[in-house]
Amino acid sequence: MAELTLRRSRMPRPAITVATAVLVSAAAAGLLAPVLWPLDQSAVDLAQTRLAPSWAHPAGTDDLGRDVAHRTVYGLRVSLLVGAVAALVATIIGGIVGGIAGTLGGPVDRILMRIVDTVAALPHLLLGIFIVAMLRPGLGAVVLSVGLTHWLSTARIVRSELLSLRTRPFIDAAISGGAGRLRVLTRHLLPHVLPKLALATTLMVPHAVWHETALSFLGLGLPPHLASLGNMINDGQGSLLTGAWWPSLMPGLVIVIVTLALATVVARWRDRLDPRVRAELQL
Amino acid sequence: MTPTATARRRRRGIAGAGAVVRRRLLVAVPVLIATSIGMFLLGAASPIDPAKQYAGAAAFTATEENLDQIRANWGVDDPLPVQYVRWVGNLLRGDLGWSTSRHEPVTAVLGARAGWTLLLVSAALALVLVTSLVLGTLAAYRRGGLFDRGLRAAAYAVEAMPVFWLGLAAIAVFALTLGWLPAGGLTGVTATTTTAADVAWHLILPVGVLAISQAPWFVLFVRDSVAESLRDDHVLAARARGLPGRTVLFGHAMRTALLPFLTLIGTHLPELVGGAVLVETVFSLPGLGAVTVQAALGSDFPLLAAITLVTTAVVLTANLLTDLAYAAADPRVRLDG
Amino acid sequence: MTTTVRTSSLLAISDLTVRFRLPDATVHAVTGIDVTVAPGELLAVVGESGCGKSVLAHALLGLLPANAAVTGTALLHGDGAPIDLLTADDKILARSVRGRRIGLVPQSPATALTPVRTGRRLLEETLRAHGRPRAEADTVAAGVGLTPADLDLYPHELSGGMAQRLATALALAPDPPLLLADEPTSGLDRPLVDATLDVLRQRCDNGAAVILITHDLAAAQRVADSVAVMYASRIVEHRPAAGFFAGPRHPYAHALLDALPDRAFAPIPGHPPMLTALPAGCAFAPRCPHAADDCGIQPGLHPDVACHHPIGDRP
Repeated sequence: MAELTLRRSRMPRPAITVATAVLVSAAAAGLLAPVLWPLDQSAVDLAQTRLAPSWAHPAGTDDLGRDVAHRTVYGLRVSLLVGAVAALVATIIGGIVGGIAGTLGGPVDRILMRIVDTVAALPHLLLGIFIVAMLRPGLGAVVLSVGLTHWLSTARIVRSELLSLRTRPFIDAAISGGAGRLRVLTRHLLPHVLPKLALATTLMVPHAVWHETALSFLGLGLPPHLASLGNMINDGQGSLLTGAWWPSLMPGLVIVIVTLALATVVARWRDRLDPRVRAELQL
Repeated sequence: MTPTATARRRRRGIAGAGAVVRRRLLVAVPVLIATSIGMFLLGAASPIDPAKQYAGAAAFTATEENLDQIRANWGVDDPLPVQYVRWVGNLLRGDLGWSTSRHEPVTAVLGARAGWTLLLVSAALALVLVTSLVLGTLAAYRRGGLFDRGLRAAAYAVEAMPVFWLGLAAIAVFALTLGWLPAGGLTGVTATTTTAADVAWHLILPVGVLAISQAPWFVLFVRDSVAESLRDDHVLAARARGLPGRTVLFGHAMRTALLPFLTLIGTHLPELVGGAVLVETVFSLPGLGAVTVQAALGSDFPLLAAITLVTTAVVLTANLLTDLAYAAADPRVRLDG
Repeated sequence: MTTTVRTSSLLAISDLTVRFRLPDATVHAVTGIDVTVAPGELLAVVGESGCGKSVLAHALLGLLPANAAVTGTALLHGDGAPIDLLTADDKILARSVRGRRIGLVPQSPATALTPVRTGRRLLEETLRAHGRPRAEADTVAAGVGLTPADLDLYPHELSGGMAQRLATALALAPDPPLLLADEPTSGLDRPLVDATLDVLRQRCDNGAAVILITHDLAAAQRVADSVAVMYASRIVEHRPAAGFFAGPRHPYAHALLDALPDRAFAPIPGHPPMLTALPAGCAFAPRCPHAADDCGIQPGLHPDVACHHPIGDRP
């Protein structure tokens, strides 16, 4: 999916405040939705299909008479959860590959990085579709599809971080002081790598959401009855041709706003990182 | 240039191009093999029975012997390595297999569909390159101005929009509300023949949407690198020599600023392919995107694997070409390095 | 060496000041410079690197980045009315001043040559832009000691010295009446340094003017008619070369000369101040052996040295 390239940007302070507020309220709405606005996922009201936006239904109703605004909150919740889990899977895969390349170095590193470079050249939506198709569409397939196609940047970050740490004197000191390989790794290397890993995971969330949304839009993602942002836009495609433009509007807007907010906040963090890592963290 | 220097350089260039090709292949071939093994294993692990799939609706009435017969014909009960080698051997001989979702040979599907996708992708890419070069350079030239700030804001906003959502919005506005352009398909509903003008008319929205969704990344790249290069020593030196503004911009600033652009086009192609699949779905175009989705829903391994592998091979080839173009455009890159 | 005082001036700079606005600081790059250059004069602007010398050259050509604030005047005389280089429209500068009337030999030629063009392409392009036949490329190159074969190389194939000479040839190609040479001898070995300096000297003897920006006092001594010493964005001493080298009056100029290998070879203690944090008074005071209480007040340049206690004045 598109890369958000807020490169070398000096984000003005108000923009960051607004973006943070948006993210916090999006996360809160997603987390608290079942408490605040309980929703029966399968509720259908055929008397109220395709109503235009009004006070009662601020974003209108869909083909089955369900309130779009209400479902969008749940879609956000589902998409964020799936995105977070998938980003975590991608980070774990990338962390393992980058960890091996960075600690072993030498020919292993060269081979692994060549593979990373070339896999980056593969059309990952197609790969993702293939993975989902072979595993049968569903939650697990989506998570695995994202994980298997989005681990590259994490691998690069972890690897370059480890390689640069290896040359630092305190690592030499620890090794010559008799510390075992594992101890050096857990005590000295991990604390330095973890913050960047956390940032990489956060950055991966919108990518994962995008990937999930695209798969769901194609009908290859989450089960159709589940309110996810991609499913809702897909459903809306049908009503669009009958003249109802609103069912796709709000879920799409939510994706746009949340992605922009995340990009803004992350750009701020990234400005403080060293340029080598920054280059990898292009959202 | 003296003839000897030219000839020496050309000889070195040709010999070096061979080296670049060899080096790229050295990576690309193993990656293709690894991808094919990965896909094959996934296909083998898939819970879907290819025999039942092949039989389609007939599977419900077919006897167990019939299904066994199909399995034996296909050798699906052979050990996996044997099956893999047979599959790859067939692929290399040009036999891409039988599409279970479309009930025709995979090569026939690719032959009928690939052209439309290629047309969509290349038209969008051409449009993106031209507009991003023009807009990015204009913004860089008036850096910090109203146009620059507006363009960047628009680019960030568009970058956050999923391409399929953008496509739906375009249909809602330009096809349904304004009625200017068709909402989908390749030809008019009443058309009996396919004319180039009709197809072009139907491709305006899809190509435009795909181009716009990909443009921000290119626009921002051009803008940043041209803006940066306008402060480069060699550009200042060219201005100090009193060269005309156009010569400074095209001959000195853009020549060096856009060299990395070449390789980045190559690395950005996968994005474009993914975008094309989604755009084809939104606009109901008869390209590879629609059959990919159909194949995925039907777990059609031969077709999906072929599409993924062929696309991968095309992207890798395009990367190789941009590498060669870069080496040809920048005398500092030693091709034999 | 000519030391005659000329009355007509080619370039008259008065009160030139350049400031760069950074997000968290202001760089005092050039402060209150008053200099005139006459036709046939070779003015050497000397000082340690980072004292603002190169900014001066870029300011005169209107090549400073957008965050630079320039004040003062710099009148370029010629046929017709004089042009104020600091306020002139960029179009006028581009069309009739840069290259044609003021040439620039840029600092660090390795990065100043467009990497994807051969020397010949660059030189022919410059000749054509100024209405001269492209065939003159070989002649111009020969003037700085480059062979026609050298011109067919790409910048990365040139040695440092060849790149430097190519950069000089590019500046000389339009035959400008005023040449700004920014460290034109860095990276050259001694015979080449002397050859390059002789090229500049010869231009002056033929009536053109040269501002030689350098940290190499020996080079200045070899060819300059007058010397302006810059320290921390200001000119601290500006005198005819003969008198200057015989007896510098500013303590900094004195220390600079003493640092030469063939003199005392004594380095100046301390470091030059940051241009973002200049002291209120004389910027050299913290390193000056003659500093006194009144050095806390900025000394003016009168008549030719900016110092409260110039050498030779003390009892």
